[in-house]
Amino acid sequence: MTDQKPDNKEPAPEFGANGHIQPGRYYGHGLPYVAIEHYPGKIIAVEGTDGVGRSTQIRLLREWLEVQGYGVVETGWTRSALMQPTIELAKSSNTLNKLTFVLLYATDFADRLEKEIIPALKAGFVVLSDRYIFSALARAGVRGVDRAWLRSLYGFAIAPHLVFYLKIDVDTLIRRVLSARGMDFWESGMDLKGGDDIYDSFRSYQNKLLREYASMTDEFGFRVLDARRPIDVLQEDLRRQVQAFLASSDIAQGEDRALTETA
Amino acid sequence: MGKKKNSLTPTTFSLLHATDFADRLLYHIVPPLKAGMIVLADRYAYTAFARDVARGVDRAWVRDLYSFAVRPDLALYFRVPIDVSLDRLMARRVKLKFYEAGLDMGWSQNAQESFRIFQGKVLDEYDRLVDEFGLRVVDASLSITDQQQMVRNLVARQLEKPALEVVNQ
Repeated sequence: MTDQKPDNKEPAPEFGANGHIQPGRYYGHGLPYVAIEHYPGKIIAVEGTDGVGRSTQIRLLREWLEVQGYGVVETGWTRSALMQPTIELAKSSNTLNKLTFVLLYATDFADRLEKEIIPALKAGFVVLSDRYIFSALARAGVRGVDRAWLRSLYGFAIAPHLVFYLKIDVDTLIRRVLSARGMDFWESGMDLKGGDDIYDSFRSYQNKLLREYASMTDEFGFRVLDARRPIDVLQEDLRRQVQAFLASSDIAQGEDRALTETA
Repeated sequence: MGKKKNSLTPTTFSLLHATDFADRLLYHIVPPLKAGMIVLADRYAYTAFARDVARGVDRAWVRDLYSFAVRPDLALYFRVPIDVSLDRLMARRVKLKFYEAGLDMGWSQNAQESFRIFQGKVLDEYDRLVDEFGLRVVDASLSITDQQQMVRNLVARQLEKPALEVVNQ
């Protein structure tokens, strides 16, 4: 319903057009009622498909950051107090379609953004995000939701300072998921009704998903990490890059942080 | 804002209503349209455009959010001054609801005062929408009979048009 343009706006910044993204700023129209400039905190997002090892890497990274004296806040997909029960219910009852799912996920993200991420940025924390908006963009993209609309929808999101994309091939992923916990209905894209065989569905769905992530690499400036490597090797790579970034930033750590918090 | 763990922010308020609307659109609006029926919608996306922007979300963002909606063939806007709507609500002893009165915005602790401030902003947004989306204005301070006559005339004229036309832009 946008054929007549509202008259108050300059066009939104080119969401995702490489080179236009400014870390720590809104991607699009943003939240007009929350000015986020000059917030000292940083957002570090770790993205990648299910079973790639995100949570393990984030746990290790968090411990290490805290030992270094950084304040760390963790946030993850569908963890909002507001939406988690609703999303769980929706997943189990099968009454939602792709559009309502996309909107529920966006609501969950908005709630965490305003209640967890923004306050943490303001207070100078490192926000570790287990998935950010990119998993939502990838999943919805695979399901045929309009990509331009999705980017406008998430125009209220803040561009992370670092986005690590844990990259894996589908064969390695399948062996990892099967030896860990088995294939799950949603992670296998069974809602796409490509057939009854969960293995075939998983392979086909994850292949599409990985292509979708790959297509966003340049658009959003992902730092791609080879997730087939052993946990400790991958973690070392992650820490080195995070270290380099934080050292070059103005974020407070250790005693300095204690001072700014009491000030 | 956001003091309570489960309280809604302007953006989550907007997104939840859009989710509900998407659900109603897919289950209750599109199927009867496909069957050639008339769908009467008590409030539509325009409510969100007025109410959510009054709460502070971006005007262009919320319009784009609802771009999946079917554009109505006829949209009626019942315009009434704030005092009249407040009097009517009070006469029916309606207790003003938290979000309806805009109490989440913290503009006033007094529900009536908050309603007045919030609805004032909502009405300003509606005035914008009249031109932008071609809403047909019905003067809702007239008698019910007069209003209904106007509505029937507008609907009759709409139905005389050669074919029911669905515009999905």
